[in-house]
Amino acid sequence: MDETPVLELRGITKQFPGILANDHIDFDLRDGEVHALLGENGAGKSTLMNIVYGLYSADDGEIAIKGKRVQLSSPHDAIDRGIGMVHQHFMLIPVMTVTENIVLATEPRTGGVLLDYSAARQRVLELSKRFNFAIDPDAKIQNITVGQQQRVEILKALYRNADILILDEPTAVLTPQEATELFAILKDLVAQGLSIIFISHKLNEVLDIADRITVLRRGKKVETIPREGATEEGLARSMVGREVLLRVDKTNARPGDKLLEVEDLRVLDDRELEVVRGVSFDVHGGEIVGIAGVDGNGQTELIDALAGLRKPAGGRILIGEKELTGASAHVRLEEGLGHIPEDRQRRGLVLDFSLAENIALHDYDKPPFSRWGWLNPRRVIERASRLLTEYDVRGGAPRTLAGALSGGNQQKVVLAREISRNPRVLIAAQPTRGLDVGAIEFVHKRLVAERDTGRAVLLVSLELDEILSLSDRILVLYEGQIVREFSPDVGEEELGIAMTGGRRGEAAA
Amino acid sequence: MVARAETPRWTGLGARQIAVGGILLGCFAFLVALPPITARAQWWPPLLGILAIGAGIWSLTRGARRPGWFAIAAGILGVGLGILATQASSGNLDYVVNWAPLFSAMFVFATPLTYAALGGMFSERSGVVNIGLEGMMLTGAFFAVLGADKLGNWFFGIVCAIIAGGLLALIHAFVSIHLRADQIVSGTAINFLALGVTGYFFYKVYGEQGTPGSISQVPDRPRLGFLSHIPWAGHFLYEVFGTLNLLIWFAFLMLIVSHIVVFRTPIGLRIRAVGEHPRAADTVGISVYGVRYAAVVLSGMLAALGGAYLSIGFVGSFNENMTAGRGFIGLAALIFGNWRPFGAFAAALLFGFSTALAFRLGQPWGNAAVLFQALPYVLTLIAVAGVIGRSIPPAASGRPYRKQ
Repeated sequence: MDETPVLELRGITKQFPGILANDHIDFDLRDGEVHALLGENGAGKSTLMNIVYGLYSADDGEIAIKGKRVQLSSPHDAIDRGIGMVHQHFMLIPVMTVTENIVLATEPRTGGVLLDYSAARQRVLELSKRFNFAIDPDAKIQNITVGQQQRVEILKALYRNADILILDEPTAVLTPQEATELFAILKDLVAQGLSIIFISHKLNEVLDIADRITVLRRGKKVETIPREGATEEGLARSMVGREVLLRVDKTNARPGDKLLEVEDLRVLDDRELEVVRGVSFDVHGGEIVGIAGVDGNGQTELIDALAGLRKPAGGRILIGEKELTGASAHVRLEEGLGHIPEDRQRRGLVLDFSLAENIALHDYDKPPFSRWGWLNPRRVIERASRLLTEYDVRGGAPRTLAGALSGGNQQKVVLAREISRNPRVLIAAQPTRGLDVGAIEFVHKRLVAERDTGRAVLLVSLELDEILSLSDRILVLYEGQIVREFSPDVGEEELGIAMTGGRRGEAAA
Repeated sequence: MVARAETPRWTGLGARQIAVGGILLGCFAFLVALPPITARAQWWPPLLGILAIGAGIWSLTRGARRPGWFAIAAGILGVGLGILATQASSGNLDYVVNWAPLFSAMFVFATPLTYAALGGMFSERSGVVNIGLEGMMLTGAFFAVLGADKLGNWFFGIVCAIIAGGLLALIHAFVSIHLRADQIVSGTAINFLALGVTGYFFYKVYGEQGTPGSISQVPDRPRLGFLSHIPWAGHFLYEVFGTLNLLIWFAFLMLIVSHIVVFRTPIGLRIRAVGEHPRAADTVGISVYGVRYAAVVLSGMLAALGGAYLSIGFVGSFNENMTAGRGFIGLAALIFGNWRPFGAFAAALLFGFSTALAFRLGQPWGNAAVLFQALPYVLTLIAVAGVIGRSIPPAASGRPYRKQ
């Protein structure tokens, strides 16, 4: 390996209003290595990499590429110096073709004016062949899978001759199979001479892929260590700054009465296609039932139908003994349903409302919070401040706007509201999406605690780890149907295969 | 774009072709009752119309939704209008339905709409809604007259119009791009500003008498005399195309150029990228603000050209608020044409034709004429409401972009 790092950052500092996002961070990337950048959400990983990619400019510090000091004031500069970035939210235009997306801004031309589509297509084909990507250059982005979209993003960087590739939380949107494929691709890229920065907050995958690991915490660098000798526990400690319980501690379930029953449920999506196709299951008090599945197999519509946000096309939903198939969301809440929605920012909280108001969304109209049609703000705030303490919500008082909190703390507020209503059935849809280890630990503990008090918990998640560690029973949802039921000691491999329709090798198609 | 096989070709295409056939049949149901055929028997239009509706339903059930609905609509309209036409006296029919002047007038009325629609297309494709086209058009109309009058030549009039339209668009661009204001509000303000400014200067410069009659006008050139020597159709062709205004020909040129620029050049790819996903464009090094400024200013210039055609190309004078909503109809043509140059042009021709027809209808049947003038608006409402396959705007249209 070459001694000069291909990329070197010295004392990078970036101040945002109210927060020091990067505080004198040193970082170096060696030739041909995968260097993981690990940290909780808000630790400053993405900020640091956006500085390297020229999207932000640092307030202080210097950047050197291959030993030469550089100014990167726009993505254009970064691209010129061989830096490519795959963003967490893909920067692809859905209505355009793969080729158009890849060549955008560096288009080959004929006669200096016209876009040479066939030459562009040819180059994309060559690149895709060289790196074994199997991408149709003429497909529209909106018609290909997320895994393929990510490869298009990588191709975009390769097309621009990048030799430093930054991947921002690349596995967040992938299925386990797709993640495995991505790792194979990354190894191949390194073998072909690229150096890779891999941003993540997932410990296991960092240990899987990285040669060295740099941990950030609250804008500061904690340490840079080689993979050899690094452990999940040690990394979690440096990330969070305290001991973290990675495995969920739980006793065996003691199922009680049947509290949620779903019979032959059929639900249509927005395009009026039947995406939940005859689902039947039940959840008893005192157990957690996990619904595993790859994104887009009917989870969203199933949850919506259970919560009363979408009218089922057929089938029955019962809570306790009572049929609530056609009941409104409000009636369901009264009957003891708690719902932690998939998208906390759009459905869980009103971001422009205060925390106290958000917590009172369900029962603002009942005494003691209002009487004779008058709100009693004092009571609303009193209750909120009690719950905020109980649920360890940091960075927010009852009057703080919900939008000002971090994702983890927002989720705690949702949890506080839903659980404090004392529901019999709790639906948790992707309860830890986008949260970091500390917050995940909290949510998991709380869900298990609620199970132990006798509630029926339905967990819908795309995260295999979460499903495996929390569930007492696992149902696999595939193309709108429950295709398998597993006990929680099932292997990750077997579960993953069931999630993609049963047979091996189909996942990549 | 390059041909791609997304759906099995034979199913989509078959249903589509039948639907197109249905649309033509529907039109023909009306046409048989008109000169030069002038079938007087009442059963002709229903016969053809029912065939058209049948073809529409057939293709509708086989996936070609939008064309299918068009065929059904054409069938129904064809029957209705056809029966009406068989009822009318043939003298009136001969007067109203005089195809050559009708087509020629269609181009005249469609031209300002085409300019506005093309302008709107550039702006909206880059992600800025430009409801101020109307005001930019009006400004163009006035400054074209002012320039042609004071500088003595229509060419300078056009130059003045383009500059004025571009400057007005620059205001809209600044407010909606840099200040990130609501683009509808900004556009509306632009319209009122244009109305006020042109009205004020109009009275200030020309007072009560109005613009002088001696203003240099854009010539009706090139005259295509050779067309009349073509056997059989020569006379007709000459009457339609022989004496069109230079600015009409220029509109055709701009139409083709716009299509090539938007769909065949790197510049067009970048404009569309900025209008669909500005952040993605930004991350590959495209200046989102730069592209949007250029597109909005260009849209103002094109709209102003439409205005200039109205004042010094067609009428030869200026009146207060002489554009009378044509900028908005241009915008409607753009939406109706699904944000594509030729689509918008086809819509502009349709609107232009209905206006031309309404003018002729006005003589024998006044109230029918009024009804016809409403046709563009009804069609636009149908297109926007998505009854026959929704028109899909650029994804980022109307959304200000904030750099990180």
